[in-house]
Amino acid sequence: MQVTLQTLVGGLSLGAIYALVALGFSLVYRTMGLVNFAHADVVMTGAYVASTFSLTARLPFALATAVAIAVTGLIGLVIERVLRPLENKDFDLMLIGTIGFGIVLQSVAILIWGTTGRAVPSPVQTAPLSVGGIRIRTYDLVVMAVAAVAVVLLMLFLQRTKRGTAMQAVAMDHEAATAVGIHVGRSNAAAFAIGAGLAALAGALVGPLLFVSPTMGGSLGIKGFAAAILGGFGSIPGAIVGGLAIGVLDSFAAGHFQGYSEMVVFLVFTAIIMVRPTGIFGERTVSRA
Amino acid sequence: MRYRLAALASLAVFAIWLPYGVGSYTIHVLDVGLVFALLAVGMGLAMGVAGQINLAQVAFFGAGAYVTAILTTKSGYGFWTAGAIAVAVSAVLGLLVGIPALRMQSHYLGIVTLGLALAFLNWITNAEVAGGADGISAIPVPPLFGVDLSSDYLYYYLELAAFAVALAFGLFVVHTSLGRRLRAMRDDALAASAVGAQIPLLRMTAFLVAGSYAGIAGVLYAGLIRFVAPETFSLANMFLLLAMVIIGGRQSLVGCVVGAIGLTLIREKLVDFATYAQLSYGIVVVLMVVFAPTGLAGVPARLRSIVDRRRRGGGAAAPELAAFQPLAPSTVDLPADRPALEARGVSKRFRGLKALDGVSLAVRAGDIHGIVGPNGSGKTTLFNVVSGFYRPSAGAVLISGQPAGRAGPYQRSLSGVARTFQNLRLFRTLTVRENILVALDRTRTRWIWRYPLWPVSVVRAERDLGRRAAELLDTFGLAGFAAALPGSLPYGTQRRIELARAMAGAPRLLLLDEPAAGLNGEEARQLARMVRSIRDSGVTVVLIEHNMGLVMSLCDRVTVLASGAVIADGTPAEVAAAPAVIEAYLGDAELSEEMAP
Amino acid sequence: MPNTRLPRATAMLAGAAALLTACSAPGTSGGGTASNTGPIKIAIVDAQSGQLSSLGDWERKGAQLAIDQWNAKGGINGRRIEFRVFDDQGDPTVGTNLARRIASEGYVAMIGTAESAVTVAMAPTLQQNRIPNITSGQSPALVAVKSPFLFLNGPTSTTYDETLVKYIVDTKGMKRIALISNNGSFGKGEKGAFTASLASRGITPVDSQVVTTDQKDFGAALSTIRQKKPDLIFIGAEEVEAGLIVKQARLLGIDVPFAGAAPLGTPVYVQTAGVANVEGSIVSSPYLSNESSQAARDFAAAYKKAYGEEAELHGAKAYDGANIILTALQSSGGATGQQLADAIRATRYRGLLGDFAYDATGVGIFATTIGIIRGGKLTAADGG
Repeated sequence: MQVTLQTLVGGLSLGAIYALVALGFSLVYRTMGLVNFAHADVVMTGAYVASTFSLTARLPFALATAVAIAVTGLIGLVIERVLRPLENKDFDLMLIGTIGFGIVLQSVAILIWGTTGRAVPSPVQTAPLSVGGIRIRTYDLVVMAVAAVAVVLLMLFLQRTKRGTAMQAVAMDHEAATAVGIHVGRSNAAAFAIGAGLAALAGALVGPLLFVSPTMGGSLGIKGFAAAILGGFGSIPGAIVGGLAIGVLDSFAAGHFQGYSEMVVFLVFTAIIMVRPTGIFGERTVSRA
Repeated sequence: MRYRLAALASLAVFAIWLPYGVGSYTIHVLDVGLVFALLAVGMGLAMGVAGQINLAQVAFFGAGAYVTAILTTKSGYGFWTAGAIAVAVSAVLGLLVGIPALRMQSHYLGIVTLGLALAFLNWITNAEVAGGADGISAIPVPPLFGVDLSSDYLYYYLELAAFAVALAFGLFVVHTSLGRRLRAMRDDALAASAVGAQIPLLRMTAFLVAGSYAGIAGVLYAGLIRFVAPETFSLANMFLLLAMVIIGGRQSLVGCVVGAIGLTLIREKLVDFATYAQLSYGIVVVLMVVFAPTGLAGVPARLRSIVDRRRRGGGAAAPELAAFQPLAPSTVDLPADRPALEARGVSKRFRGLKALDGVSLAVRAGDIHGIVGPNGSGKTTLFNVVSGFYRPSAGAVLISGQPAGRAGPYQRSLSGVARTFQNLRLFRTLTVRENILVALDRTRTRWIWRYPLWPVSVVRAERDLGRRAAELLDTFGLAGFAAALPGSLPYGTQRRIELARAMAGAPRLLLLDEPAAGLNGEEARQLARMVRSIRDSGVTVVLIEHNMGLVMSLCDRVTVLASGAVIADGTPAEVAAAPAVIEAYLGDAELSEEMAP
Repeated sequence: MPNTRLPRATAMLAGAAALLTACSAPGTSGGGTASNTGPIKIAIVDAQSGQLSSLGDWERKGAQLAIDQWNAKGGINGRRIEFRVFDDQGDPTVGTNLARRIASEGYVAMIGTAESAVTVAMAPTLQQNRIPNITSGQSPALVAVKSPFLFLNGPTSTTYDETLVKYIVDTKGMKRIALISNNGSFGKGEKGAFTASLASRGITPVDSQVVTTDQKDFGAALSTIRQKKPDLIFIGAEEVEAGLIVKQARLLGIDVPFAGAAPLGTPVYVQTAGVANVEGSIVSSPYLSNESSQAARDFAAAYKKAYGEEAELHGAKAYDGANIILTALQSSGGATGQQLADAIRATRYRGLLGDFAYDATGVGIFATTIGIIRGGKLTAADGG
């Protein structure tokens, strides 16, 4: 029983990371209808930038994270600007273009930081809490708390601010949005930048949990993407639920199936998606018909 | 034509003599390049030609290689027997991965195929039978009548032969009816199903073919390297393969080959600068996607069009729409008792919205029947129910007295229902002639088996289709546009092409959705002439129209819909005078009485 | 008009094919034969990219140091020694391709790789082309290949782990031992050797967890191990993974010491886990520190001068391995192929790791020592 609960706790903290990654995916998809396969490598870039600033420049963790978010936000703007001619036209080509960007980001990371990777010490050095024999790392709680705050801020932005509502308007009908004076290109750029920022936050947070390397985006990105789809692509609560679900599924699969855990996770995911392709909360997306 | 043949022959001679001029490592690299070329062709067929995102291609490749390895080293099978089984396994795996393609497309399909590829990679990294992380070594050299295939030089010839056959078969598929159907499906799955393409089976076929090609590549790879390990089938190589296909041009099989072999050679050259090489692939992919989506293979065509445009400025005349040749009138009497189309209490709900509310109407055989009504009254929804795109929430549709039941658009097309669309749905990347050819092709999907088993019949069918297409193009005056892409043509011409395409299926019931929208007076008159001729040839026509003059002059009977319900049904004169109709259009019956002359 | 072209093309093809069958098969003449004059070419093959690239880096530096020193003394019988570094990316299939390349380009010997799986994959091609190979791998699978051209520049996992178990069980009297290993070639070899050594003393591990080589989160495995309350945990994984395991274990409240073979003796292990977390780790290694002998101090000084870094075990192994090959080349007068392999087998060399004397299996050294990590540094254990 203790092992089960411990596994659950472990799954939740990684799940919070997947949820952040899924949020970034969902936000960009919800507002632009673009599936961004470079998202995973943006996570990796965020992890590297944050760890560089916190290890080398000795900045406090929070400040290093903020810098990372700013830097990757810029990267997001660049990607959107380059791929803008394809928006609302050829969906599959945009997908492939983002894959290309992902490859570029990975190569640049290797050129700057080398291929071996680095371990990042946890910024929270206090001893883990012990609740009924279960160890809860303090850092896990920090991760979950930060993720929760990010979600709340995002929802407030989308629903209460003018920019956020404009973003949703563009998602529903980009031509009508232009007609009422919303600059679609700039709105999309902002959405992309926020999505990238969320990715950087996920990357900065996950560094101390796992290991920062140029290929770290692979597993994180795919599971984050799967989480977004599972929860309902484009849905914010869906991203949270999906992320936590995949995190817990991953943790239990690792516990029971050891080496085969990845296979189990993806087979289960495929089965769920076949049964309910729109995910738990259904897909909310741009109308492109 | 003779240019092409000479080029082909010299290419063949070059390929045959190549091993004599290169070192032993270079030929090894070429051998690997040919394997990737096979993979790329399979991927091109699934992604470029059929439009199915297939990120599991490396998994099929791995299945072919691993099954060969396991059967030869652990179960003692001969190499070729093991290879045959391996290709079968890869093909079946392709089918299995294709099942999600029935329920989802695009990014969903991408993530599911990617996930399944990772699942496969995970399995081979852990399974004892697959050798785990160490892989399987000491795969035996394939025996071939005493030829020593452990030499990379001689293995090249084996690969060349397999590759040539595979490429030829792929090109054969693309340029004949199956390829056209796949391309039509890629361009517009909805319209493709309306002209007789059975979309689910075609999607599975695309994955089956991709899997088979990858299986063959896997077997050749196992025989070449004689060692298989998980890293070869990783995501990194999947994305490299994707880069090859995109850079070469995914819609052209030859482009895929060029991309595969080119990138393999470039990788070898840049092996000391591996990271810079990877960076450049990424940059080239992005640039290609934005500026040259058709890849390297599309470059000749684009150059040609630029040259043509410059030359055109001089004085070559643009093709023109020729006159419509009236169709031969029907000599068969249509059954007077059985309506060509009947709707009984058809309702259609979308969540909260009731688009159709108990619609009942009957269209007499041989009539031209109009469906009119204000915007949003459910006219197109009715068409979608009749042609099988929607299933009614209540009620039934009978076509020529037979209940349509749950038949999809494909079956209804084959039983004689054709339609046009409100927003033109022509196949953008197919020429006008190919658009017609797709619709002319009335073969059942199971006839795909002709391709591997009896390709000669395909060739014969092609000739027959070609002849009939020429006739149809002449009939509709489109002969001058046969080789053009529809997107570049004037709107009126595109409307006529869609009409011709609908008629290509030799339907008994023709549904026209706002055929006169955007047409000027003369074009509308020509349309009326064509519709009458079509009716006279024995086809029942139902048309949705807003152009009242056209409706009044053309239609035998008219049904008026408003807010999803039938509010009037009868001859045009009766319907025009009905107060309910006037109210629906003008808003107030009393007001209209005041205004009546 | 078109009808005349097809027959003509077919005739051309038929002619080409006929000519071909008359000629000999391509590639039967030529090929990479090494010459007897001119520079001696040695290939260094290792992972220069990926998670194991630090191993490749150390190997290259150690080997390069040896080669540079020999060249400074005049090379081999006046012939200069040239080397080229190849990146196998940690991928056995890339390794097999590189093996073909080395064979075709006239390299007389190969140093590398540090990953047993890649070395095993390359062995058949190297054997076929009679190119001797000295590897840093330690997996018993290397011995199982039975290639007369394959030599190890260190002990096998069997030696490492037998020494380790002797210390842990016989000297320190620990009984409850848990294992965590990965499913790669090295990890499997370690697990097998360690479990066998325990079994010979009648001890069964209280738990044995297997993780994958790519895994980054070990919570599930470590939680299960923690339940069993072991006295010590043995790690059968490479440096980075081992470091991550220790780091996460400490966060989960596991306080017991860790033990392992060569990977735990590297600075990467210490950095990845964190200096405080590795305190007390028990390491079985034939090269504990750069202070362990005068030769080691000289080597470390030269290494630092050339590369500005601290030398460690893998650099030392590669240094020894390169020196052995060069010594054999000298004593055989620049021989290649079988002659060179025989010369290597006959070489008696006093290296940084100890005295090398190759037996028929290709293993040249059969002892390691025990060290304990204190304050981030590996020091000799008393009683080890």
